[in-house]
Amino acid sequence: MPFTSRTARSTTAALGLAFAAVAASGATSPVDQAAVLLRESLDAPKSVSYVGEMQTIRFSTSRAIATIVRVEHRAPSLTRRWYLAPDSLYGDYIITRGIATYQFDTKHERVTVSRNPMLDDTVAASGNLDRVVQNYRSVFDGHEDIADRPTVSLSLINKYTGERAVRVWIDQQTHLVLKKEEYHGNGAVASQMRFEELRYTTAIPDDIFATAAPAGYEQVTGTEIATPSSDIERVERDAGFTPASPKDLPQGFALATGDVTVVNGVRTLHLLYSDGLRTISLFENATGAAADFGTLRARTMHFSGHEAEYVEDGPTTLLTWRERGLYFALVSDLMRPELAEIAKSVVP
Amino acid sequence: MTQHLPLETLIDYIHGELTPEADAAVHVHLTACPPCREEYAAEVQLGEALRASARAQEVEFPSMIAARTWERIRNARPGPLASLAIFLRPAIAVPLVLAIGFGAYFATPLGHAAKHDRTINASYYLEQHAGQQASDPLAERGPVPVMESSLVDTAPPAGGPNDANDAIH
Repeated sequence: MPFTSRTARSTTAALGLAFAAVAASGATSPVDQAAVLLRESLDAPKSVSYVGEMQTIRFSTSRAIATIVRVEHRAPSLTRRWYLAPDSLYGDYIITRGIATYQFDTKHERVTVSRNPMLDDTVAASGNLDRVVQNYRSVFDGHEDIADRPTVSLSLINKYTGERAVRVWIDQQTHLVLKKEEYHGNGAVASQMRFEELRYTTAIPDDIFATAAPAGYEQVTGTEIATPSSDIERVERDAGFTPASPKDLPQGFALATGDVTVVNGVRTLHLLYSDGLRTISLFENATGAAADFGTLRARTMHFSGHEAEYVEDGPTTLLTWRERGLYFALVSDLMRPELAEIAKSVVP
Repeated sequence: MTQHLPLETLIDYIHGELTPEADAAVHVHLTACPPCREEYAAEVQLGEALRASARAQEVEFPSMIAARTWERIRNARPGPLASLAIFLRPAIAVPLVLAIGFGAYFATPLGHAAKHDRTINASYYLEQHAGQQASDPLAERGPVPVMESSLVDTAPPAGGPNDANDAIH
């Protein structure tokens, strides 16, 4: 599917194309048009094949983690990401085939295989999009060329706080997201992704997506991502203990799914709260199993007489603490003071 | 922002001291200005090197001051009330510690829970959370970035201090 490079395009023409696309779907209001465009951007990777170079930067409070990967994607569900930077990951690559991922660690000659049913959960994705429309106002933000492709930019503004949460740049013709920025509640950039180079093509050799471990490689099983359920009552019964839940969540958040898994012999309840774009995970166990931070730099914070430990993974914070016989772990991209407020309300 | 960033602005940016607008402006500038990005990286590296150096160094108390302090402690004579308190300390402390210990063990589940040392790897929480996000609109439709876990902030060598203690009330 070859496309020529276009460097100059008027705002009217850019928005016109976007509106024309959504008008074909029968939508009328700008909100509907934006929702249709978002939905089309969600579906784009299922029908568009490409090769390109993608840069990501994830910001924590004290540092930034930047990666550059070469991406080969063959629709609908074959993807290889080959790390070019940082040096510590150079040459490593990840192949995704449907819900399975194969992570090739070339330095340690090891391939880690894991499965994530959420990678192919269109029902959950659709439900989250409904939440986005419910909690966010979409604003067309003009146009820009990204990787020599004309894009329409769309900002998603939180209806309750007026803060911009995400801005995406969507390819006008293919609807693939070519650039994305996520923002914290204070307006600071939390993460950024953008294609530096991009070429649409279906001529990607099969062996790019070969998952057989090279000779001498050890194959290990990675983390299996749990299959969540929206039947929260059943999930809480399965937990085997009376769980606690937050009384104070940011507006728009609602309990979306839950699951119970046994980790290292510990029955662990996972409740996922979402407002469509942002998520909060609350993990609990009643068997006294604390978090093992290993080599991660765990830090201490205090709230309402509690001592808690936290680590940052880019903009994501993991906060753990203990109360009334339950161990809690809270994970989210929300800022740390917001997480502390939520944590305070879990067991008042 | 066409000129290079002043060093003071970069330092404030690194420490999160800028207003949201200024922070965003500096971020945009850094993505487009290699010299400033190099300056930024050098400042971050310098800060980390200084912190590592500070952790590695143990400041010795001057020997003469230490000797005099110990001498004063040894020569200090407690008053009558202090002597009585010292005499009664074991009689009060031992039953008190026993009572608290029995209470913690039998009256709360924490005492029993502490008997076993099962733990859950912190990366499990991060991976499960990232995995569930895969169904979010606009989330990266890729795998859980386990390989990038090596890029997460890691602790100094064993015995290093915990250098950040925050209080949020």
